Amino acid sequence: MKIRPPRLPEEPPPGPTRPAFWRSPLRGPWLTSLLGSALLPLVVVCAVTGFLSQAAYDPSLGGNSLLPRGGLGVDLYFFSWPTRPSYLYALTQGLHVSTGLIAIPLLLAKLWSVMPKLFEWPPVRSMAHLLERASLALLVGGSLFVFFTGLLNIQLYYPWPFRFLTAHYYGSFVFLAAFALHVGLKLPTVARAFRERGVLRPLRADLRHTLAEPYREGTTAPLEPDAPTMSRRTLLATVGAASLGAGLMGAAQSIGGPLRSLGLLAPHGRDAGGGPNGFQINKTAESVGIKPSQIGLGWRLKLSGRSETELTRDDLLAMPQRTYDLPIACVEGWSTTQAWTGVRLRDLAARAGVEDAGQVVVESLQGGGALRKVTLSSGQVADERTLLALRVNGSDLSPDHGYPARVIIPGAPGVHCTKWVSSMRFEAA
Amino acid sequence: MRRLGAAYGASPLHALAVVASFAVAGYAFLRIAQSPSALGTFLWFGAAIVAHDLLAFPLYSTLNLIAHRSPLGPGDEWLESRRVPAINHLRVPAILSGISFLMFFPLILSLDSTRYAHYTGQSADVYLTRWLGICAALFLGSALIYAIRLRRAPRS
Repeated sequence: MKIRPPRLPEEPPPGPTRPAFWRSPLRGPWLTSLLGSALLPLVVVCAVTGFLSQAAYDPSLGGNSLLPRGGLGVDLYFFSWPTRPSYLYALTQGLHVSTGLIAIPLLLAKLWSVMPKLFEWPPVRSMAHLLERASLALLVGGSLFVFFTGLLNIQLYYPWPFRFLTAHYYGSFVFLAAFALHVGLKLPTVARAFRERGVLRPLRADLRHTLAEPYREGTTAPLEPDAPTMSRRTLLATVGAASLGAGLMGAAQSIGGPLRSLGLLAPHGRDAGGGPNGFQINKTAESVGIKPSQIGLGWRLKLSGRSETELTRDDLLAMPQRTYDLPIACVEGWSTTQAWTGVRLRDLAARAGVEDAGQVVVESLQGGGALRKVTLSSGQVADERTLLALRVNGSDLSPDHGYPARVIIPGAPGVHCTKWVSSMRFEAA
Repeated sequence: MRRLGAAYGASPLHALAVVASFAVAGYAFLRIAQSPSALGTFLWFGAAIVAHDLLAFPLYSTLNLIAHRSPLGPGDEWLESRRVPAINHLRVPAILSGISFLMFFPLILSLDSTRYAHYTGQSADVYLTRWLGICAALFLGSALIYAIRLRRAPRS
């Protein structure tokens, strides 16, 4: 059975399906190959760090998994998230957001450069061609969907009806599947373009020496190019500048320090005021419904293990205090390092009668929220730097920063560093 | 076998790769379909497929065309006359301003500012001023460079 494409005229109708419609002299296999080659390492790093971000939540423990459970859900995590180095999650998530930001201008440029291919004629040459084009629809849609949901998420803007995490996570599967196929299919094209024109050689041409790539049927090189008004150098420098600027926003809020002030458009690149509690907040006390009476003198930490006790804040202050410089790193790709003082989780486990502590289930005073109840791994409990922090930078925690007590774990996502802790239940290893 | 290959239009490896790719995508779509607001997710995904080609591209292409036809455009035989074309001094800052707006519009326009204030304890108002400042700096810088280039250009 021969699959015959529908009968269409041999000659493309007037309009964008005719090669002569596309006039830009800069389009061509070389430009697209260069943009694609720049995108490839960014997408790989972004994808790997994205999956690591999922693993960092230790989704196999307790209720930590944020993805819908059951059915065909596959857990891809084979290791417990380590606690060393302390900046581990800050690094992976900072990279994830920053590479995503850097990739977006390059992605837009690439979409511009392959525009003629949307209108290629005939629209379907064979079954293979049809499937390729369908995959490209998933590639274009998937890339814009995943990158822009991520971009809007870091700005805390959610104009859609769905749950961000589910859509972003599974959307990335669609994108990466189409991306992998695309890379495989286009490698010969890229190799040929670089072989014929050099990898960076076309960048040497200034405007007067900018030439259109020779027309070849099926490529994006123009049939009847206009005279160039912009060199490839200028075009790529502009796109590069946009990428660099975007990446700077990500780096500024992730690396922090003097760099943070350069994050002019970064959601968490702001000056948070001076003083010991003057650093970036995620979720103010008021926004999650914490009442002053809950965190006042009547607050008790319910500690359970082999025995059950209740501790006041003074009881906790009476226990041996330790101070460590540890970063808090959020899933939106920003982090901040502060000096935290508090009680080692190990010591609290001993107080609860669980000497060889395994996991701990930490609960917060906040009423709702996805991870108000978090399970920490035995590795995290055992690390000497994992604290129930009572003070930061020498002063008591402010209510927005989790007063009376918050957990701080080296290397872990900020959302696991529970604020306004109400109870901790230790389980034996 | 060869007839199948001819009907398909590419090698068996191609077919295998395509099937594998669609299988993974299909799994993801299935998981999305099982989630709440599945329809909304698919609609937004559909919008993502067409957003650039049907919205963004016509928009910025038209703007570029307008710039070309305007007095700032290259005009005829600018290459021969060796005048410095002004159009890139408009295009480059416009592209950078446009991309920065496209990427950071929720903050620039203070959309959902209540949530931003709830989460960070700060106001999102500053971003509009900052972005406008960035745009001003870009256009001013471009104008400055243009003036310098004009001065250095050989007189025709």
